[in-house]
This record gives sequence, structure tokens and C-alpha cells, in this order.
Amino acid sequence: MKKKIDLTQLLRSKVTWAIVAEILVLLVCLIARPDFFSLKIQEDTGMLYGNIIDILNRSSEITIIAMGMTLVIALGGTDLSVGALVAVSGAIALKFMRWDVAEYITPGDYSVKPYALALLVPLGVCTLMGLFNGFLIAKGGMQPIIATLILMVCGRGIAQITTDGRQFTTKFTPFYRIANSSFLAIPMPIIITAVVILLMWLFVRKTAFGTFVEAVGINRNASRLSGINAQMVIFIVFAITGLLSGVSGLIYSSRIMSNDSNNAGLNFEMDAILAVVIGGTSMTGGKFSLVGTAIGSIIIRTIVTLVYYFGIASEATMAFKAMIIAVVIVLQSEPVSNYLSKRARNRAKLATGGVK
Amino acid sequence: MKKLVALVLALLMALSCCVALADDVTVAFSQIGQESDWRTANTDSIGKWVGEHEGWIYTYDDAQQKQENQIKALRNFITQGVDVIVLTCIVDSGWEEVLKEINDEEIPLILVDRMPDCMDKIEYYAAFGGDFVEEGRRQVAWAGEYLKTLGRGEEEVSVAIMEGTTGSGAQVGRTEGNLAAMEAYPNMKLVAQQSGNFTRAEGQALMESWLKSIDKIDVLIAQNDDMALGAIEAIKAAGLVPGKDIIIVGCDSVKAAFQAIVDGEMNATIECTPLYGPAVVQCIENLLSGVPGSKELQHPDEGVYDMDGGIDVGGVVSIKAGDVIDERVY
Repeated sequence: MKKKIDLTQLLRSKVTWAIVAEILVLLVCLIARPDFFSLKIQEDTGMLYGNIIDILNRSSEITIIAMGMTLVIALGGTDLSVGALVAVSGAIALKFMRWDVAEYITPGDYSVKPYALALLVPLGVCTLMGLFNGFLIAKGGMQPIIATLILMVCGRGIAQITTDGRQFTTKFTPFYRIANSSFLAIPMPIIITAVVILLMWLFVRKTAFGTFVEAVGINRNASRLSGINAQMVIFIVFAITGLLSGVSGLIYSSRIMSNDSNNAGLNFEMDAILAVVIGGTSMTGGKFSLVGTAIGSIIIRTIVTLVYYFGIASEATMAFKAMIIAVVIVLQSEPVSNYLSKRARNRAKLATGGVK
Repeated sequence: MKKLVALVLALLMALSCCVALADDVTVAFSQIGQESDWRTANTDSIGKWVGEHEGWIYTYDDAQQKQENQIKALRNFITQGVDVIVLTCIVDSGWEEVLKEINDEEIPLILVDRMPDCMDKIEYYAAFGGDFVEEGRRQVAWAGEYLKTLGRGEEEVSVAIMEGTTGSGAQVGRTEGNLAAMEAYPNMKLVAQQSGNFTRAEGQALMESWLKSIDKIDVLIAQNDDMALGAIEAIKAAGLVPGKDIIIVGCDSVKAAFQAIVDGEMNATIECTPLYGPAVVQCIENLLSGVPGSKELQHPDEGVYDMDGGIDVGGVVSIKAGDVIDERVY
């Protein structure tokens, strides 16, 4: 009996439907091309090699940002600046590593004096930009969508100014390793993502912070009256999101070993919001699920990989993605999931003779 | 009497000023913004050539990727009464009104790089732009001729075309050129054709997938160098040797691509030059000396650069990239 109640609850849970959707998409892949799931160890690099690895690997940038975005949305806001921060992070990092400045004039001489600066400065700047967002929202009382719009618009400008509107290329090995090396045959971006998810989960679930976020998201005034420092919560959440955008930007730039102020992180804010929504967190704020978000991000990347793998024509790509996402969201919608869980309940009652 | 003398003197001075001003030619350039190294080189080239020309005053406006900024700049140029306007259009449409205003003021207009769609409805002195179809043709022709030098002219080879942003002028033109040229090389078989959005990251992700979904790719035609550079990383990660196992032909000829060719990771790049400075200066000189303009789109001289040089792609013989990499400014 207890098991059956669990089933109804499971059917109501949006995370379940996100997992079902992912399995369905993968099933389509399996039927169309059984070799889609083939996995092997690449001899030269010692890395796992296959589509599933690609999906996990390439979803890293969005997953990492979406972890922060989940908290922002749980607060009842959105952060539109994350994509621009990805560009800022990459631009600053490459500023330290370009080879066409006087010191590194010979291609091949990519030594960067204090390498830590190339990582710490971008992350620091992105965190500060996140704090700036938090300041406008917490102290300035601006709506998050408006406050973060400022950096969304001028962030890319800042990235352009940083690099004088140019695209630098580097071959500096330690930087290359961020996205292109592996640990226990697993590509590094997957490891970084797993660590980020774990740390975030510990932070929100093993401290009271997650509850604070939900409380502020449901009712900011009530949470203040009950003694929660709502302003501080907002500051921390936006700073984390800024920092995570910076991490994502470093992975992105390390993959292409260059900065790309126009295209780095382009539309990442939309993908991150979509990942959070598919993962079952409501845009109105309150309860959130980090695991759901991670699955949402993986679904988005699975669709992109599927489009590439099956050679769907460029013109049809957008429509195809939209179609799959529409199905996923409809599956999760309140009426549909209610209907399905009701059917499950009825069936359970039928089995015990409860329904006439 | 004194007042009269002063007045006459003042008038004379004012007149002489006008004469001096009339000698100077003001050239105004409305650029779309700074989006890439290519664009920066484009701005620098025109700025340097026009700006350093004796007796010319150069005015520059950066529209920061917004059409409304460009239209505003053009109206400012009209109010300032500039003598020549040089324009690159950020998008195709929405130009007719402001360009007709320029025509009404009889300010000569020179169109550069990106053309407006209302070209047949307006007056302009000259138009300089890249020939995307020809660039696309050259990409495939280079690969075909190179295969012949390797003795693989008869062997059936699999070709993948990595397209640019769907619907952009460069993508449409280069795809047309790619596909048309493939008919001349019956040994080439098209196995994939998808968009990598002209970016390194997407070129890399697309190549990563292709290497798993397609058994064999011999030739990669990437419609810009950035996607080719991204694809090189994916090919390396798959344990293949870029430039040998897969022949890679890019387009644009940016410095990073030259470096890749010198390093042996890429085979060739077809030039799409941003260096319009000399052509624009020549054009303005013609204009000032009264040579009638031409409505025909003029293409700049563009080269083909590869590992060893000497491959004839029909009209142009390729140049060894290693010999010219140091002269490359972008």
C-alpha cells in the first residue's frame, strides 16, 4: 500500500517527468541508430569517447550556470546577465594568455607569469558583477529581470573593451587542460560540473540556506518578519550565480582556446532558465530542485546532439528543438501530470477493489 | 569708413576660410561595430588609408551593432555636410529612406562589404563587396585540385560541409558555390551538411558528433576559419590527425588559421579580405577627378593560402601561408 502512494507522488513530481522525457529522447536515438550509445576508451587521450560522454561534457557550461539560476528562480527572479558574464570571464582570462602582445610575441611561447591570475581575476570580476546585480535588487529594490538586463546588455561591451574588440588565441597548456584533460577517463568538464553540483547541494541542503532561499522566494516580507536576512540571501545567491558564470566561461574558452566576446555564452541565459523550468522549479519562486535542473540541462544538450548526430538540416534545427521542448513541458504541466497520477491512483484502487 | 573696412576684411577672411574648407574633402565612414578581428582590420584599413590621405578629413562612426545608430550617424553626416559617405550596412533591409535623403543632398555614396537590399532603387558611386559564391567555389576547387596532387583524383572521397549561420549572406553564397563546384569533381561525395553558426564552439561540437555518426570524412569544408579551428580540436580529441586524415579548408584567412596551416593542422584557407582601404581611396580619387561611377559590385583581389602553395583553383594560384603569415594584420 505504501509503495502505491509513493507511485502517485512520484507521478506528480516534475523531476520524474524530466527523467521520463530524457529516457524517451534517448530511446528515439537508440531505435534510430543503435550505435548511438557506443562507448569506448580513446587510446591517444585515455578518455572515454561516445555520444553519452559528449552530451554530459557539452552540457557542463549550462549545468553549472543553471545551478545558480535555480536559486535565483527559487527567489522568484531571473538572471539575464549570465551569458554576458561567460563572455567577460573568457575575455579576461585570454587577456592574460594572448600570444600577440610584446612579451609572448613568438607563437609557441605561451608562458603566463602568474597563471593563477588568469583564473582568479575572471572569477573575481564575475563574482563582483553578480554582487552588483544583487546590490541593485536587494538595496535598489529593482526587479531582477531589469537589474540583470543592465549587465546582459553592457557585459559583452566590457568583454570587447577588455580585448580591444579582438579574438585572442592561446596554446597555453595548463589552460588547455581545464576542458580538454580527463580524470579517471572522464573529461574534466564533467568532473568540474559534478563537484559544483555536489558543493551546491551540500550548501543548500546541509545548511539552512536552501530553506532561506525558498522562504524569501515564497514571501519576502514574511521571511523578514521571521528573522531571515533577505537582503543577504539575495546578495549571496547572485554572487554565486556570477561566480558560476565565470567558471562556465573558463570552460567555454578553454575548449576553443580563445575568447569570443560575441558568441561565448550567447543565449545561455535562456538555456539555463529552460533547464531550471524543465527540472521542475517554478518561475514563481519557492521550492527548487538542483538535480531536476541538472537533468533539464542534459535534456537540452541531448536534443542538440541528436540534431547533429542525425544530420537534421540547419533550417529545421530550431523547429525540431522547439517541438521536443514543447512535448517535455506539456508532459510536466499541472493538468497532464494530475491526470496521469489520478489514473494511477484509480488503477491502484481498482486493483484493491476500491472503485465501483 | 573704418567700420566698412573692417566689414570687408571680415568678409574676405570668412570667404578665404570657406575656400580653404572647400579644398578639404570630408570623408565619413559609418561602420557597423567591432564584432571580430576581421571587422577591426576592416575599420583600421579604411581609417588608415583615408585618414592619412593628404587634404582629406576623415570622420568615423561606430554603430555598435545597431541599425538605428547607423541611421542616426548617416543623418549627422548629412547635417555636417560631408563630401563622401562610406557605408557598411549591418542588415539588408530598412535603408531606402535614409539613403534617399543622402541622394537628395547629392552626397556621393560608397558601399562597402555588406550591401543594402534597395541597391536598385538608390544612387551610389561604387560598391565593393566580397564574392561569397566564388569563395565557396574556390574552397571545393582547392580540395579537388589538392586531392589530384596527392594522386587521389579518382578515389571517391567523403566531403562534409560545415555551414555558417543559416540565412546569412555568406552562408547562402558559399553554400551555393560549394555545391556548384562539387559537380566539377565527381569523385567528391557529400556526406554531411549542417550549420556550425560561424563559431568555434559550435564547429567543435558539430565535428565531434559527425566523427561519431559518419564512418568516414575525408574533406571538411568549413565556411569560416573559426569553425575550422574548432573542428581541429574535435578531430584531435577523436585521435585523428587534422590536415592529414581529414583535409580541412577554411574561409576568411584570419591569422589564427595561418598559424594552424603553418603548424600543419589545417590545409588551406580562402581569403575574404577586409582590407578595403586602397580600393576606397582609389575610388574617391576617381570621384574627385570626375570619373563616372559604376553600379556594378566590385570584388577585391583575394588570394588562396595553403601549406605549400602552387595549387591552381581556376584563376588564382595558391600562396604558401608560411611565407606571408608575418604580414597578416588580423
